[in-house]
Amino acid sequence: MPTGESPMLKVEGLTKVYGPVRALDGVSFQVEAGSVVALLGPNGAGKTTTLKCVLGVIGFEGTVEVDGVSVKKDGKEVRRRVGYLPQTTAVSDSDTCRQTLEFLGELKGAPKDRIEPLLKLVNLWDQRDTRAGHLSGGMRQRLSLAAALLSDPPLLLLDEPTASLDVESRREFHELIARLRDEGKTVILSTHFLDRLGDLANRVIILHNGKLAFDGTMDDLAQRAQGKRYVVNVNGTAPGALIEALKATGIGPDRVQPAEAHWEDLLLASLPQPGGQKPEEGSL
Amino acid sequence: MNAVVSVARKEVRDALNNWWLLLYAALFTLLALGLSYLGQRNLGSLGFENFSRTTASILNLCLLLAPLIALSLGAGTIAGERDRGALTYLLSQPLNRWELLLGKFAGLFASIALATAAGFGVAGVVIAVYVSAMDAGTYLLFLGLVLALIAVMTGLGLIASVVSPTRVQALGVAMLVWFVAVFFFDLLLIGMVSATSLGGGGLLLALLANPVEIVRVLAIIHLEPDLEILGPFGSYLMERVGVGGATAILGAALAAWTIVPVTLAAWLFEMRDA
Repeated sequence: MPTGESPMLKVEGLTKVYGPVRALDGVSFQVEAGSVVALLGPNGAGKTTTLKCVLGVIGFEGTVEVDGVSVKKDGKEVRRRVGYLPQTTAVSDSDTCRQTLEFLGELKGAPKDRIEPLLKLVNLWDQRDTRAGHLSGGMRQRLSLAAALLSDPPLLLLDEPTASLDVESRREFHELIARLRDEGKTVILSTHFLDRLGDLANRVIILHNGKLAFDGTMDDLAQRAQGKRYVVNVNGTAPGALIEALKATGIGPDRVQPAEAHWEDLLLASLPQPGGQKPEEGSL
Repeated sequence: MNAVVSVARKEVRDALNNWWLLLYAALFTLLALGLSYLGQRNLGSLGFENFSRTTASILNLCLLLAPLIALSLGAGTIAGERDRGALTYLLSQPLNRWELLLGKFAGLFASIALATAAGFGVAGVVIAVYVSAMDAGTYLLFLGLVLALIAVMTGLGLIASVVSPTRVQALGVAMLVWFVAVFFFDLLLIGMVSATSLGGGGLLLALLANPVEIVRVLAIIHLEPDLEILGPFGSYLMERVGVGGATAILGAALAAWTIVPVTLAAWLFEMRDA
């Protein structure tokens, strides 16, 4: 039974072993209702495995509770409270948008009158009788998002939802997520695209080699990376001249990149370096 | 239970878009008509055979085709979803694994049954138009037996689908099962009878191990009331249990062959990660 006082998601000692590989190793964290959490980490870090454990579609060791309901004890009830958007759209190509939502709505016990507003929300009402196989990648992802919202779940798990989208579709998708955040949904967003992360998420969880590498706010992450990144305003047009000038002083920068990649720098700075070395102080 | 119905309905809708199933229905109808027509030509007159001869010909056709399509589609269902990355998505919905599996089974069975009944139906109507004396009851009985065999084979296909990592591997397992059940088992049985002193009881047990043979024997029992056509095994059945008893035993075995594989597939599905 949900307590209403429980965190929206509670993960304790989550461990998943595939043969000799420990995909997750004792991961613990909590997510409060209304948060937007960015789940970050390199490929193979355990992000998708974590989401699959939360959904109860794979076995695991440890505890996972959604809104106070244990995934192991009542996975079906948990899945009623979770909207899931996979990395690649998995809706049937032969079904129309409307048929897709009707089928998934039946499984979720959602009323049929949810379909029209949701198709309008994701801007697919005009394509309601178009087969999913004829939609663009961005449209299919928006259809999947509508499906995830069918039962009006309090928790959304979005697994790299913009991985296969172009810049414009990605921007539209991020706007949709921001809208859901503003409506009070709890969102866990696994992503590699960090350009708008600061606008979307208020918390970051970083996984590395199946372990929790960082759990905190965006400010915490920025503070942690302090001293490892400097912003230099160049009075000129060629960064090459700056590099040469710095080299002449013996500083020797190894990288110059546009400031938009801010959060990617922070992520890289937070990951353990190969061989256990810390990130080089002062690197650009 | 609503989830089972929803999944089954979706499966039927998908099956109607599956050209393999449509091809099966068309091929089945054509072959049923062709067998009947050619059978009559062999007897010296041009036209369609009556129902009893037709059903005997169609029986052999059914024992080849129906298991093939049921095993193939059964094997492709879960493994196919896994291949295209949709299994995790389906399992992320609020339904239990057994509900997904049972819905898939029910939908597939209904689709193949529909295609088979359509084939039987078209052939039956055409033959009925050209034949005055007809045994429609026997024809319908055969349809029922074939549907039972389809249920069994769909369940066996599901097991292959659940345990195989890819659709291709699942289809490979299904083809092996088909080959053993339809061709190899007969040879094995002949070899066993020749090499050992397998009595009627032993033969019955061996027979119960193959649902294709169960359906064949059940059909022959009802087509030819004289059980001598089944040789020593027919005599054994007649002596021991009679037609009613044999029907009951073989019918129960068919029911078990349907329930056990589906239950086993559900259990194996529960044990495995998506």
